[in-house]
Amino acid sequence: MSTPLYYHFDWEVLWRFRHELLAAYLTTLALSAAGLGGALVLGVPIGVLATGRRRWPRAIAAVYVEAARDVPLLIHMYFWYLGLSMLRLPSFLCAVLALSMYCGAFIAEVVRSGLQSVPVGQYDAGVALGMKPARVFRLITLPQAMAFVAPSLASVFSQLIKDSSLSSVISVAELTFTAGAIEGATFRTFEAYIGITAFYLMTVTLVTRSAIAVFGGRAYSADLT
Amino acid sequence: MNYAVVWDNWRFLAEGLSLTLQTAVLVIVGGSILGISIGLVHTAHLPGLKQLAVVYIELIRGTPLLVVLFLVYFGFSFLAGHRLSAYQAAVGGFVVFIGAYIAEDFRSGVHSIPRGQIEAGVAAGLSRVQVLRLIVVPLALRRMTPALFGQFVRLLKFSSVASVIGVTELTGATLLVNAREFRPIELLSALAVTYFVLCVGLSLIGRRLNERFKGRI
Repeated sequence: MSTPLYYHFDWEVLWRFRHELLAAYLTTLALSAAGLGGALVLGVPIGVLATGRRRWPRAIAAVYVEAARDVPLLIHMYFWYLGLSMLRLPSFLCAVLALSMYCGAFIAEVVRSGLQSVPVGQYDAGVALGMKPARVFRLITLPQAMAFVAPSLASVFSQLIKDSSLSSVISVAELTFTAGAIEGATFRTFEAYIGITAFYLMTVTLVTRSAIAVFGGRAYSADLT
Repeated sequence: MNYAVVWDNWRFLAEGLSLTLQTAVLVIVGGSILGISIGLVHTAHLPGLKQLAVVYIELIRGTPLLVVLFLVYFGFSFLAGHRLSAYQAAVGGFVVFIGAYIAEDFRSGVHSIPRGQIEAGVAAGLSRVQVLRLIVVPLALRRMTPALFGQFVRLLKFSSVASVIGVTELTGATLLVNAREFRPIELLSALAVTYFVLCVGLSLIGRRLNERFKGRI
């Protein structure tokens, strides 16, 4: 092994590429937001189906959850990008679809466990007050379930933001892709990757905090268990 | 649909599969050792080291795997003046990455132990080290089994990311075959089914183990 090279940090490189980094960060945010939207649209109804009484919807939900989450996200990405290459979908859309399908399964699982943790008495009480089942679900069961699972939901959200980095592989110009480009142009490996890590850390922390605040804020059910 | 492409290249793909399994075993062992050690450092209230453990856990858990992998692969050569092979970097990066999550699971496993258990140990005259060794660690390990296997399954899926830095594990091998044959649907679906089977198998082992611990946590 040769002697250690003393690496001289040159953080100025990040400033030089500030426009590219900002654009990349906005792409990461757009990617995460779209992926999250898609994952919620898919995951919440499927999570609700999984708690239903009828067998077929439950089976469909279970098949989706198992199939989507036991296949690596990278393969979800390649499926849309390579497998369906004849559709010529833009790579951003491929990444959003992959993130939605993959993270939707995790959200479905979280929603299911949240709904199942709400005591049945809560539902009965709502019905006893003369509410329709749909109203009970919307006003009583769902808010309590979301409050129960707020931390898990927050961790799925932050996982999604970090996982969006994999879309660099199908050439979406988000943070990780741009760091690779800066690295390629300047050989400033540490600056580029540590720089974008700061972006990820900041975003993940913010999103985790606010997800817990938004959903967990309604945890008036905490003493009901 | 013509799955002959999978059979025609089965030897190459099987080599990829065996590299994926080898990576998974190495990282499961390495990551568990690293994660549980860091978790122990955190639990043992060693001044200074505890803060270091927290920084490691929080920093890695906020960083995407791909970034950790690139930092290890490209960064290591700058620091040590010695180039890692892609495979070594992948195993190293995965261990560092998953170790943080396992440490966090261990930490919450320790947290979930009822105080009475520890107080009972102290009342029975055990020393601090004995309480840690005989009560805290075994209980924490049993309580974290589902979470631990969750991490193992994640890791198995994440091992596909090694293909990005050029490791020809299962995903890398499949992509290479696809580059020559261009049969993405057949190859990717076979790949997905393989990962699915591996992941389900691994979670079944975890569930079995967890059932064995029932009533002893």
